[in-house]
Amino acid sequence: MIVEGTYTFAGPREVVWNLLLDPDVLAMTMPGTATIKRVSDTRYEGKMGVGIGPITAAEFDVVITMTDRVEPERYAMQIEGRGRFGFTRGHAAVTLSADGAATIMHYQADLMVGGKIAAVGQRLLDSVSRMLLKQGLEAMSAELDRRLAKGSG
Amino acid sequence: MGQSVPRLEDEKLLTGRALFVDDVQLPAMLHVAFLRSDEAHGILKGIDASAARERPGVVAVYTAADLGEYWRPGPLLVPPPPIKDLVFNAATQVPLVRDKVRHTGEALAMVIAESRYLAEDALEDIVVDLDPLPAVIDLEAALEPGAQLIHEQFGTNLAAHVHQTKGNYATAREEAGLVITRRFRYDRGASAAIENRGIVAAWDARSEELTVWDTTQAPIPIRNGLAAMLGLRESQVRVIAPFIGGGFGPKIMMFYPEEVLLPWAAMRLGRPLKWIEDRRENFYATTQERLQIHDAELAVTKDGRILGVKDRFLHDTGAYDPYGLTVPINSQCTLLGPYVVPNYDSEFTAVFTNTPIVTPVRGAGRQHGVFVMERLLDFAARELGIDRVEIRRRNLIPPDAFPYDHEILFQDFRPLVYDSGNYPAALAKATELIGYERFLKEEQPKHRSAGRHVGMGVVTYIEGTGIGPYEGARVTVEPSGMVRLATGVGTQGQGHFTTFAQLVAEQLGVEVDRVRVVTGDTREFNWGTGTFASRGAVVAGNACHAAAVKVREKIIALAARLLDTPPKDIVLEGGRALVRGTPDRGFDLGDLARRANPLRGAVTPGTEPGLEATAYFGPDRGNAASGVHAMIVEVDAETAAVDIKRYVVVHDCGVVINPTVVEAQVQGGVAHGIGNAFYEQLVFDENGQLMNASFMDYLLPTALDVPTVEMAHFETPSPLNPLGTKGVGEAGAIPTGALFAQAVEDALAGSGVEITEIPLSPSRLFELISRAKAGVP
Repeated sequence: MIVEGTYTFAGPREVVWNLLLDPDVLAMTMPGTATIKRVSDTRYEGKMGVGIGPITAAEFDVVITMTDRVEPERYAMQIEGRGRFGFTRGHAAVTLSADGAATIMHYQADLMVGGKIAAVGQRLLDSVSRMLLKQGLEAMSAELDRRLAKGSG
Repeated sequence: MGQSVPRLEDEKLLTGRALFVDDVQLPAMLHVAFLRSDEAHGILKGIDASAARERPGVVAVYTAADLGEYWRPGPLLVPPPPIKDLVFNAATQVPLVRDKVRHTGEALAMVIAESRYLAEDALEDIVVDLDPLPAVIDLEAALEPGAQLIHEQFGTNLAAHVHQTKGNYATAREEAGLVITRRFRYDRGASAAIENRGIVAAWDARSEELTVWDTTQAPIPIRNGLAAMLGLRESQVRVIAPFIGGGFGPKIMMFYPEEVLLPWAAMRLGRPLKWIEDRRENFYATTQERLQIHDAELAVTKDGRILGVKDRFLHDTGAYDPYGLTVPINSQCTLLGPYVVPNYDSEFTAVFTNTPIVTPVRGAGRQHGVFVMERLLDFAARELGIDRVEIRRRNLIPPDAFPYDHEILFQDFRPLVYDSGNYPAALAKATELIGYERFLKEEQPKHRSAGRHVGMGVVTYIEGTGIGPYEGARVTVEPSGMVRLATGVGTQGQGHFTTFAQLVAEQLGVEVDRVRVVTGDTREFNWGTGTFASRGAVVAGNACHAAAVKVREKIIALAARLLDTPPKDIVLEGGRALVRGTPDRGFDLGDLARRANPLRGAVTPGTEPGLEATAYFGPDRGNAASGVHAMIVEVDAETAAVDIKRYVVVHDCGVVINPTVVEAQVQGGVAHGIGNAFYEQLVFDENGQLMNASFMDYLLPTALDVPTVEMAHFETPSPLNPLGTKGVGEAGAIPTGALFAQAVEDALAGSGVEITEIPLSPSRLFELISRAKAGVP
């Protein structure tokens, strides 16, 4: 499954960078994320629960490993999720470029999905992942606005 | 014989009194669930089942390491036939993965618990450490040098290579007026039986007997194999295949992991165990059929006579090949159909892939071959401006040419020699029934001018059926006057309780419902192979007949002696043996059975007690059933929906025992065929993940999609068995893909749509129509 797109954040690049790598923000904004911890500078571990079609609340243990980090420009991730309903595995790359006062994020992910979620949730995988991503980005954007308003960026 | 006796088993089946494996409930029975791999390919580094073992309600968890000496790959069920220069790399399935996962759904661990619910929960406690490997899915890429290997020991993903020839194709091609060359893809799917697989195993420590209820098509080979594996005598193992909700091939003597593990664990734990496959497991853990890619060539004269066929094809055998080469050899042989093909050059390569195992499913590769040949003839007819029925007629084997030798080897290791048939007459009958001429001249032009896309298809096929080695039967007249018939084959809905009873009733002069048939219980009959390859009515049927003939002779001899009459004057009718012309002089059969089993007095030396006999039948080789299918379809050119208007089958399965049973077999086969043609496809992604492992996404045809087939029986008796029967179990499913393609193409004539693949689906057909419109090849 390829997920690719751009999203514009109304804020400066450094603030967006910090936002994207803050585990508390990720836990708060990404739908279904129960916990996420920064184990080291390059490793995050967490638990997610997503519902895809006939599979409701599939729980995943997720491990994200940062591989190519150039602050505040770009980073890449190895993603591995495992749970009773299957697994996902793959890599993603994020680049941030300044556009005046805003920041344009380009993201690209290539994820393999296996197990029950692939077997019975296939028809809905694309649309569910698009929906989750949209919700996550919008929530993150709202958090960015909140931080900028508080001046705590 | 030849009477449509209502099926004796239906009352039980319809009122819920038939025993299926899941109906077996035993005291203290435990339930089994299997942990299956999510990954298609990977190295297994370790399994930690400690948490699962501690879960309350869990009795045992077994991994490959826990099986010790019992862990061993399954048997090679069908060795390769003796074809010159044949290459075959045998790799059979393992009970639980020890080193390497080779397809999704392969079993990693077995959990035994107080309930299935608890067992399923415990599966989640098991931690698997697996190093994923790239999956091998694409048949052509799998054979490239440097491809990821599935079975390292072979150094290749090639499972087999077979080349069979007849005549000299290259020379024939030079004389051709036209050569048609195409690439064909023919994919098939799951057998999708209404009942999934199931096993109940119980060890009785007092009698030292193991009883296994198994949804198998072949209880006797399973009994023999289990006894050998478990170190028991065959007489200590009883395998019962009760009523089974459809077999269709994958329930043959596979020695599936569950089939060998439950009996072993039941003996260790001393408690009965049950495992019933759920539908999602069935998509991975039960064998299926799959893709073949054919690059085929047909050389014909300008007037449409076949000079030769050349075919090179790839066959997906899945992760293991325990069933040998039956499926691709069926494709190779069945391609020749009812036609005179003087020169044939056919070569196939079977390929290992990281997908579930491929073994026969109703038709067993025959439809792949029929599709290639029928399509090639359609294209040749179009190019040459010859009517498609006419081009077939010109090439049919003439009725006086039997036995007809195709000069290659069939799946039973015997020469592909057709025993009997009358193909021109069957073709004429089918075109008459569907109204071929009238449709072309009157109906189709009318539809076309009204803007409707209505088309017709007419195709022929051969079904090699009734292969050996043998089956047996025992017939006993009981003192009640009832007749008991026991045979070793299993039954999965074919109507054996009726057709076999008819054969015996006819010999013994009793009503059919006086014959009680027992099948599929190794305690009842000790010898046999099983129900497969459309062989029940031929091989078991003739054994039933032979046993009944022997009992008839015993009855006549006894009655003649008691009545002091020459045996030739004794007739059997109405459940009595009586003297011809004087019906009051005679005995009821039950009375004779009692007299044949005296409690006092002397008998003549050499006499056997009772009215009982056992007989066996094994044909010299398989016989050739045949048929013609014709259909009319309407295609909605906007939505690509296909509506089947009429479906006609003229089939020849030799002498018909029970027309209704035969018609039901054909109707069911056609339903299977329509599923294959337009609905069913197992879709794997490039990682070996099955993307439609549920009936939400894997489409089966419904009653609305399958028309009532209009049928005509055509009988050319087989000279290879006393009854003259041929098989019919797979017939309906074989030519449907080819027929569907021709009819849909005809409906869309002029649009440029050419169909070289099955299955189609509304969306795939829509794509083909759109591409043709846009002029994309």
